[in-house]
Amino acid sequence: MLDALIISLQLALTTTLLLLVVALPLAYVLAFKSFKGRTALEVFVALPLVLPPTVLGYYVLLIIAPDSWLGSAWASVFDSSLAFSFSGMVLASLLYSLPFAVQPMQQAFRAVPKSWLELGKTRGMSIKPMLRHIILPASKGGVLVAAALSFAHTMGEFGVVLMVGGSIPSETKVASIALFELVEMQQQQEAAQLALILLALSFVMLSVVYSINRKPLVVGS
Amino acid sequence: MNHMRMTTTLGSLDLDAQAEFAREIIVISGENGAGKTTLLRCLAGLEDCQGQLQIAGNVWLDSVTGFVKPTEQRHIGFVWSDAVLLPWLDAEANIMLGVKDGDVAWFNQVCEALEVSPLLKRKPAMLSTGEAQRVSLARALYIKPSLLLLDEPFSAQAPDIRLRLRQALKALQQALDIPMLMVSHDAEDAQVLAQQHWRMREGKLMSEVKTKPQDKVMNHE
Repeated sequence: MLDALIISLQLALTTTLLLLVVALPLAYVLAFKSFKGRTALEVFVALPLVLPPTVLGYYVLLIIAPDSWLGSAWASVFDSSLAFSFSGMVLASLLYSLPFAVQPMQQAFRAVPKSWLELGKTRGMSIKPMLRHIILPASKGGVLVAAALSFAHTMGEFGVVLMVGGSIPSETKVASIALFELVEMQQQQEAAQLALILLALSFVMLSVVYSINRKPLVVGS
Repeated sequence: MNHMRMTTTLGSLDLDAQAEFAREIIVISGENGAGKTTLLRCLAGLEDCQGQLQIAGNVWLDSVTGFVKPTEQRHIGFVWSDAVLLPWLDAEANIMLGVKDGDVAWFNQVCEALEVSPLLKRKPAMLSTGEAQRVSLARALYIKPSLLLLDEPFSAQAPDIRLRLRQALKALQQALDIPMLMVSHDAEDAQVLAQQHWRMREGKLMSEVKTKPQDKVMNHE
């Protein structure tokens, strides 16, 4: 049980950190740029919200199968399989939690007052300094919400990680799957403990999100 | 000499502004909605417009060739009618925003002249409207811009400090030796500061040549 919990936490933490990096440019272009294919990109980012997790898991399995280009490239570099591995689960989680990272950041970026962006321009700022000095400090709350939601959502995965990870004990068996198996094996006491821990974790993460959302993040000048 | 001939249409406003100016102070007055702010924004490159603009021998806009120098490269000092300070930075950091290795002596000179030295460690939330406005003025001057664009920079100042600020601003403009365009509803600003006085009506610019000596001692009641 402890193993599964640790794997879940590792998966959620790794996914969240990587997602913040991946989501930043996506949120930036969706917030500020108009281009051909914008709607398609927005839909692609939002898809995991409505897709059955098993469908997502199925496609991820196809992408990382040993005979796929990604699977074989991974195998030749790391000498291991992506399918039914922790890394494979990370990849699947990135896709699965993508909207939970991108959308709060995108909304926060959009809420940055236009005059602040104009101010940045008059100071000669290009994209990078603008992000560093103006957009990200102004969107701190949105970035924190993105991190908290990504973490909580990844902790709660079931279908995707089951398909991609395969529930290998001490390797890819995460807490949510462990709970399912405990109930199946009628180990009620352990199941109750694990369920309570997951409930408490989710409660804490959501409390963080709601307290950030309630606070005025920046006091207008 | 600086040349300007710019037109743009924004909502119901048809801006049509043609003028020449030297490294001097130009006060722009006119009714609300006459296009004063739009003119400043066109000069800053913050609005799309057509025509020609040449500042200090450099082309900033040329619709014939389709050239538009982006705001980031114009090196302008812009003061918005509201202060536009970043709320998470103190006054000092706001003034220095985006500048590395600035001129310390000039910083002190600007802060002394505009009476913001005692405010430097305060966050914008702890500044009065007038103080915030002076900080934003100091921020625009600190970068030693090639053009100063001020949208009602004294609107929130008490009458006594307004008198001192006029002289201070004039001295700073002379030290920089740059053109300064200032939107103002205060007739005294035009009387005391203006070397050219432009009036705007329904988007059209009408120039009035000033004949009185520039160093005339202020006479106020």
